[in-house]
Parts: sequence; structure tokens; C-alpha cells
Amino acid sequence: MKNEFYYQPGEHEAERASNSYLMSLIAIIAGLPLPIINLLATLIFYMGNRKSTYFVRWHCTQALLSQLSLLFVNSAGFWWTVSVIWGDEQATNKYFAYIISLIVLNLVEFISTIYSAIQVRKGKHVSWWLYGDLTDLFCKQ
Amino acid sequence: MKKIIFQLLILSGVFLACWFLLSNIDWRNIFGTEEMSENTEKKLGEIYWDYFDSHEQIVKDPYVTKCMDSLLTRICTSNAIDKEKIKLHVVESDEVNAFALPDNHLVVYTGLIKECTDETELCGVMCHEIAHLELNHIMRKLVKEVGLSMLISMAGGNSSSEIIREAVKLLSSSAYDRKLEKEADINAVDYLIKADINPEGFANFLYTLSLDKTSVEKSVSWINTHPDSEERSKYILDKAKNNKIKYLPVLKKDTWDELKEKCYED
Repeated sequence: MKNEFYYQPGEHEAERASNSYLMSLIAIIAGLPLPIINLLATLIFYMGNRKSTYFVRWHCTQALLSQLSLLFVNSAGFWWTVSVIWGDEQATNKYFAYIISLIVLNLVEFISTIYSAIQVRKGKHVSWWLYGDLTDLFCKQ
Repeated sequence: MKKIIFQLLILSGVFLACWFLLSNIDWRNIFGTEEMSENTEKKLGEIYWDYFDSHEQIVKDPYVTKCMDSLLTRICTSNAIDKEKIKLHVVESDEVNAFALPDNHLVVYTGLIKECTDETELCGVMCHEIAHLELNHIMRKLVKEVGLSMLISMAGGNSSSEIIREAVKLLSSSAYDRKLEKEADINAVDYLIKADINPEGFANFLYTLSLDKTSVEKSVSWINTHPDSEERSKYILDKAKNNKIKYLPVLKKDTWDELKEKCYED
């Protein structure tokens, strides 16, 4: 994670940027087990802030991108579980291994989100590995 | 951009490696799902069979049971299937039917034995039902149609006789889906070939019954619950035609004739 931003954000900016991470956290809890819910919540928050300052937009984009990548992994896990319970699929070792990998990935994302929300609220910039570079690509000044 | 693609590949690789490594652990055993499903199947088998035993006439004639046991022994020993786990029951009924119940119960109606012209036809149907057992189709069908929670509730003894009756009806008089039926047919042909029993008998049985316009009147349940018999007999013959091996009879002609006679007597 990188902790440098080219300007020092103000109090109001830090609060809004931090809220983008909190939004995805709340949505994760509310949206379980449907993985699309947290993506939608983060997307709505992103749309509401797309005309905001660069610092706020940047963190909204990072939060959105991290949710987007989880969507694919979580959706596969969700539909696999549905077909195990109601369909033809069986709960194999492969299935359990996927669900455990999925939980680990979500946990890492969850902890990173909490950490980012706290740091960004303090006005510190947090750029995640991979997602930081991706955000730079999509979010222009 | 290259850096992002590289990082993306690393992240995907780490996830896939984590998944692959974790797949090598026996989670089913750790979580006890194997034991739980085995226990549930065992309990369901008992419930189903208790229901059957009290509602149907079971054939106890030692001649019939010995003949059927000989056919089952040939199929099982040639295919490395544990014969002891399969509980074969012959039920007195004019219905042309055979089906598998949970916990390896295999039910054959005397109506089916009477309808078969020789032992290869009967062995074909038995192999088809054994394939359903071996491929775990019974529990898959029950989970799909009855629901996992209802099955666990049934296994726990929390279900009315009406629910059990409906669940028994589901296995004895409704079809599996097309994919499972084909899978069972293909496996049945393999079992027959390994057991030195001509699979053409199985194909002929399906074909003859599909042509029989009086099937419905004769309550040929096995055909009614196994649609597209003509198509099935074709792919059974296709699979069987490349195997030129010597077929050995299980029962002598006289023994088979007497078995059928006994079924008519019962």
C-alpha cells in the first residue's frame, strides 16, 4: 500500500472518501449472501460523488473496483452453493476449497477496507496493491 | 498497463493456487458431510423399505430369490461392485417395473420378470438400476425434488406417512432427468459387457416395449418412466456393437423358464 497523495485533502474530503469504504462495508453485511448488493451500493455512492474532488473520486473508484473483482468470485460461489443445495451439484472437496478461498479473499478485502476507511478519514492516502494502479488508470484529475 | 496485467495475473494465480491446494484436503471428512449423507441415506433407505415391506407382497420363494441372486452376483463380481451392500427385493406385482431406493435397495417386480424374454433383458434393466445406485442418482434426485431439509427431517423421523408415500412414488414411478438416464444406460452397457452378458438384450427390451401399443394398458411403468426408449435402444446398440466378446449365460434355459413360471404362480 502507498501512502502519498499529491495534495493534502481537507476534513470534509477525507470524511466523504472514507465513507466510500464504509458504504461497501455496510453493504457487505446487508447484502450477504447476494454479492451484487454491495457492488450496487458502492456504485450508487460512486455516481453520487463522481463530480466531487479528486481525492474523493479516487477513493470511491478504488472501493468500486475492489467490489467489482469480488463480484465475479462471490457470484460463482453463490450460484455454486445454490446448485449444491437445490440442484444436481454435490458438495465436493473442490467446492469447499473454493468457498474457503473465497472467504479468505473476502476477509482480506474486508480488513483492507476497514484499514483504508480509518486511514482515509485521518486524511492519509491509501493506495492498494493492483487496485491503486487500476484506479490511477480510470480516475483522471 | 503491463504492470497492472502482471499484478492481475499474480492475484488470479494466487487465488487459483490457493483453491487447488485446498482442494487436496478432505473437507468432506473434516466437516462430516460424508458421514452425514451416508447416515441420512441409510435412514431414508430404512423408512422407504419399511413402507414397501408393509404395503407390498414380497416374494420369499427361495427358487426366485436364488435365481435373482445369481444374476446379481454375476453383475457385481464382474464389475467390482460390493454385492453385499445391494439389497435385492422381488415384489409380487403385474406392473412391469424395477427401481432403486436409497441405501442400495434394488426392487424388481415379478411383472418385469414375466415381460422379459430372456435373462439378458432382465440383467439390462437390473444393470441400469445398479448404475443409478452406483452413480448416486437416487440421493441427487431426492435432494432436487424433495429438498435437503425435508430429507433430513424425514431421516429424523419427523414426517407423516403421506409424505413418505409421495416420496416412494417419486422414486418408483417418475423418471430421472435425461442426462442421468443416459449416464445410467451407458454404465449399464459397460456392466453387461464386463459381466459377459449380451447388451443387445437390454436394447431389444427397450425397443420392443416402445413399440408395444398396449404398454399403457399393461401398466408398463418402467417404460412410462423412462421415455425415448427407441432412441435409448439405438445408443445402447451403438455402444455395444464394437465389443465382440463371448457372452456366457448365467442361468440355464430351464432355470430361466422355471423362474418365469414361479413368477406366474405367485
